[in-house]
Parts: sequence; structure tokens; C-alpha cells
Amino acid sequence: MVSVKEIQGAAGLSGDQLLDIYYKMLLARTVGQRERMLNRMGKGPFAVTGEGHEATQVGTAFPLKPGYDWVVPYYRDIGVALTIGQSPRDLLLAHLSRADDISSSGRNMPSHFSDPHLRIVSGSAPVATHLPHGAGIALASKLRGLDEVTIVYTGDGGTSTGDCHEAMNFAGVHKLAVIFVIENNQYAISVPTRKQFAVEDVSTRAEGYGFPGVTVDGNDVLAVYAAAKDAIERARRGDGATLIEAKTYRLVPHTSDDDDRRYRSREEVEQWTARDPLVRYRGWLKEYNVADERKLDGLHEQAAREVDEATEEAENAPTPKPESALTHVFVED
Amino acid sequence: MTAIKEAIKTHGLTEKQLLQMLEKMLLARALSVRQRILQRMGKGPMTFSGEGHEAAQVGSAFALRPGVDWVFPYYRDVAVAVTIGMTPVDILRGFFARRDDINSGGRNMPSHFSHLGLRIVSGSAPIATQLPHAVGAALAAKLRKLDEIAVGYSGDGSTSTGDWHESMNFAGVQRLPVIFVCEHNNYAISVPWRKQAAIENVSIRAQGYGFPGVSVDGNDVLAVYGAMSEAVKRVRAGEGPTLIEAKTYRLMPHSSDDDDRRYRTREEVEAWSAKDSVAAFPHQLKELGVLDDNAEKEINDRVNHEVDAATDQVEQEPQPEAPTALRHVFVEKERS
Repeated sequence: MVSVKEIQGAAGLSGDQLLDIYYKMLLARTVGQRERMLNRMGKGPFAVTGEGHEATQVGTAFPLKPGYDWVVPYYRDIGVALTIGQSPRDLLLAHLSRADDISSSGRNMPSHFSDPHLRIVSGSAPVATHLPHGAGIALASKLRGLDEVTIVYTGDGGTSTGDCHEAMNFAGVHKLAVIFVIENNQYAISVPTRKQFAVEDVSTRAEGYGFPGVTVDGNDVLAVYAAAKDAIERARRGDGATLIEAKTYRLVPHTSDDDDRRYRSREEVEQWTARDPLVRYRGWLKEYNVADERKLDGLHEQAAREVDEATEEAENAPTPKPESALTHVFVED
Repeated sequence: MTAIKEAIKTHGLTEKQLLQMLEKMLLARALSVRQRILQRMGKGPMTFSGEGHEAAQVGSAFALRPGVDWVFPYYRDVAVAVTIGMTPVDILRGFFARRDDINSGGRNMPSHFSHLGLRIVSGSAPIATQLPHAVGAALAAKLRKLDEIAVGYSGDGSTSTGDWHESMNFAGVQRLPVIFVCEHNNYAISVPWRKQAAIENVSIRAQGYGFPGVSVDGNDVLAVYGAMSEAVKRVRAGEGPTLIEAKTYRLMPHSSDDDDRRYRTREEVEAWSAKDSVAAFPHQLKELGVLDDNAEKEINDRVNHEVDAATDQVEQEPQPEAPTALRHVFVEKERS
């Protein structure tokens, strides 16, 4: 493969890394689609997926140290979970509420990611309640003198909550090693951002907490990666928090229980579909000869195969036994 | 001197109004001092002193229309309450928890100001919970297309609460007729500002909500009045909220249950005492020729007499009767 280190915009990533990013995006897209399909087939209770957010999610998670840095995702972050190291099997076991589900052993809602070894921290369903958790974890790292970084994800709707404000203010005061990623897809379920905040870029709020805020094109995976890498380096060397606002769009309804035709025009969805981060990144990879058509098609097939196998395995896996209902509330030796 | 003349010209204040402002400041000061003394004598349960905040409070409240605009004070706002129209009797009945207390019939903590006729809205003790109420009142005024303004007061500590953020954001999105006044005295009880926020001026946060924020010298009553008048004009023009940060200092402990020597140096308190607005403003007015020693003495005597008379009266008044304990929870139309 060609040397891509010199390509402007490649952010110093190797060809293998660039393709790994693409593969993670593909996997996230495929898992999202699969979960929605399984839900419509009546096999999964609920699907909340991230199609359209892949560049934001993979781009921000890729510069982290899996198993060392702390990841506090929100429900749309399939791409984050996969990039940190959860497998399609992990996600589908959770989607189908199977006994071996690592996130909650089939207890929690799907897409409430959790993995102790990967340091992916389980969140509650109410929006933005995990942001104070993220600040708290970062405080623990600071008190212990560790150079761990915590990354916390939320949507644009999350920014209107008191929890968001309190977490950011606390992170600013204590100069915590935490990165707040706002996946701004312009809708809090059905509420458009013009009804959510009276500013163009919500990243401007960071100044009011005493740390930098940046707005990036959330459909440009390498731009997102570069912003996240800077923020993570800042945090790791003790310079404190960063707010990253990644502007993107969810290409599918909020969840399997939502009909987005009631609040978004089809024209708008089509416009954003034309900016699909996967299509865009694939074009970039070809343009800079990182991979050819055949290679990229091969990755598509590989992702489909991996998700097929995971689906089959998860479908055949047992559901939790009723007598296990009281386990997994506290840590068990 | 030139500055004050300029300020008066800009704001169109008359000499009479300037003297009214001074009298409200002196009255608020005298009430705080009196409550602290009575508390130490064992006659009142608790006091929150507003000493040091008079310029911030009078300067902001003076720009409002009593009984039209909605006022959501916090516990330190004795000068806001008296500027809007509460009397020393009203304040001291609240302090002594008397039966005829307009604030709560003797139920609430002292300094939880409330007056239906004056549209001073009772708040809860938890910090900043009054701000969403202020925003809600402003939303109601907007929906009813009424020319009313809501003002939410709070201290610097409140800016770290979720309620503060949610109020600012909602006010910005809906462009509500609301003004937020942050009386920034540099301490949330014992927590200094540098542990409260990682910024110098909290007013910069307003930009993140889509409306202007200004920081003013909270010990300069005319500067505060000027900022408030601008904010009022903006609201009237349909331009939405403003955040005013008035930088000031509380000269006394947080409350009668606080010992500020544990967290503030005496040098710091002395440095701020030298900037006391209640001392500075009469001096300014004298320089301007609006006030002389005789007139100053007259005002002081009147204020002291008023507070003395109110104290004597209220001390004699009855406490709430036990069988009334369940009243004043809901509006009572029949029983008045």
C-alpha cells in the first residue's frame, strides 16, 4: 500500500489505520442497520442506532487508548463502542437481551453500552445524566495522579440539561482530563436545535467554563479525528477539558419507536444522505490511493459477514435465566 | 463627579430619584444591621445580611415598575424588597415570624421575600430554584402579550447549578422578557469564585445563550442602574434577556450561622469596606450638590426612626396561632 503519511488531511495516520477507521465505520453502519432490521422482524425490543454519526463516533474514539481511557457513551454510540473494542457479537447479544450480554446481561435497554475491561461505563437512560459521571471519573484520575483521559458523549439535546452545565463547569474549575463530545445532529428526537439553543455553535459555551470549544464537520472523519487527538493530548498532559461539537445528521429515525417524517422533510434527509460520511470517506480513500475499489468492496463484504455471524450466534444464544434476575446489581466476585 | 453627572444625564434621573435611591440603600442597611442585632439578642431565628450589596440591589430594582414587573429575589435581597415597596414592618414581621407577616404568615425562613401586591415571588431555600420560576413568569407574560418584565436575582454560587443553565438557555431560545441579575460577591458562603468557575466574568456565559451579558461595578449604584435600564429597554424592544453581573462584596458573614473569619482575611474585608456604596454614594451626591450634611442627617434620622418604630411595633405583635398551621399553602379566596 502507498505511504499516506504525507497526505494532507490524513492527520499522520498510516494506511492501515485509515482503513481500520473505515472498517469500524462500516461495522457501525452494518450493526445499526441489522438492529433496526431485527427489531422490525420482532426479534429485538428496540433499536437506537447511529447511521450518519459514524465519522463523529469513530473519529473521536480512534485516538483513545482502549482499556486505559474511560469512555462514557450515549445510546447512539455504536461506532464508539466498536472502535474501543466491543464486537458486533457484544452489541447483538445486548440487542437481543441475551444472558451473555456484556453490557448488562440482557437487563438494560439496547445501546446502553458497558464493558468493564474496555472501561466503557454504563449510563442511565435519562439524557445527559452520564456527563457528571464523566467529570467524576476524570476527577478520580486526577486525584490518583493518573494520565487517563475520559471522553463523554452526548447529543445536542443533552446540552440543555442542568447536568451538562454542572459537569462542564466542574471540569473547568478542576481542570479535569475530560473531553465532552456533542454529536449535534440537529434534532433532540423531534426538537430542532433552533428550539434547543439560541446560538449557532454550542461549542461557544466552552469559553464560559474556561476551556476551549471547537466545532467540526462531524461527517468528516479525519477532521473529527484531528480535533479529538488534539483534545486528548491536551487532557493527557494536564491542560484540562475540551468541548468538541461535531455537526452531523442522523440518517434514520431517532429510534425504532419514532417516525421522523413528522418533523423532518424528506428533502432535508436526502440532502444529508448525499453527505453520508461513509460515502465521503470512501471517496477520499480512493482519491488518495489508500485503497482501490476492490479492496474497499472487500471490507464491505467482511463487515457484512462479521455481522451475519454475530447475528446468528446471538440469535442462538440463551436468554437470561429467571433465577438470575437478582444478579448483576452489585459487583460479584 | 463628571462621571456621575454624565450617568445622571444618560439615565434621566432627577435629584429626587437620586435621594430616593440613597434612602432605600440606607433603609436596607439599617434593616440588615437591626436584624443581626435582634438575632444576637435571641429574638430572631436567623439573619441574612445584605450589607455591601445595597448598590447592586437598589440600582437594579429602581429601574423596575413595582406591582407590574415580577421580582424573584434571593435571600440577600433586602434592598430589592424595600426598593420595590416592602416596608420595614413587612421585613421585620418576616424576621420575627409574626402572624401578620406578608411573606409567609411567619412560616418561611426570614429573607424569603414575598408580596403578592408587589409581585415579589416567594422562593425556595435551595439555591437558584427561583430562576426557572422567573423564566416561567416571563414566558407567561410573553404568551399573554403583556408588557411585564421578570427579574431573577441570585448570587455567584448559583451560576454552577443546573437550574441557572436551564433558565438562561430557555430564556434565550424563547427570547423572554427576563433579566438575570447575578450579585457576584466572590463567595458562595465559603467557596471562593476561583473554585466556583474557571473564568473571570460569568457574564461571558450569556453569549452561549444568545443574549448579551454585562459585568458592572456592583458597588456603583448608578452603573448598576444604567446596566439595568439598558436591559429593561432591550426587553421592551422585544430583544429578550440580559445577564447582568454586579461585582460586589458582602461585608458581613453569609448568615448569622456563619463565621467568615474561617475563609476570608480581615484585610480583604477591610479593603472592600473602603468601597462600601452606602458610604460612597452620599459622598458622590454631596460632590454633586444634591445632598448636604443636614439633608443627609434628615434621611438617616428618618430611616432610623422608621426601623425603630417598626421593631417596636413588630416585637409586640402576635405569633401565628397554632390552629392556623395548615393555612397559606394554597390561595384562599374566601378567607382573605
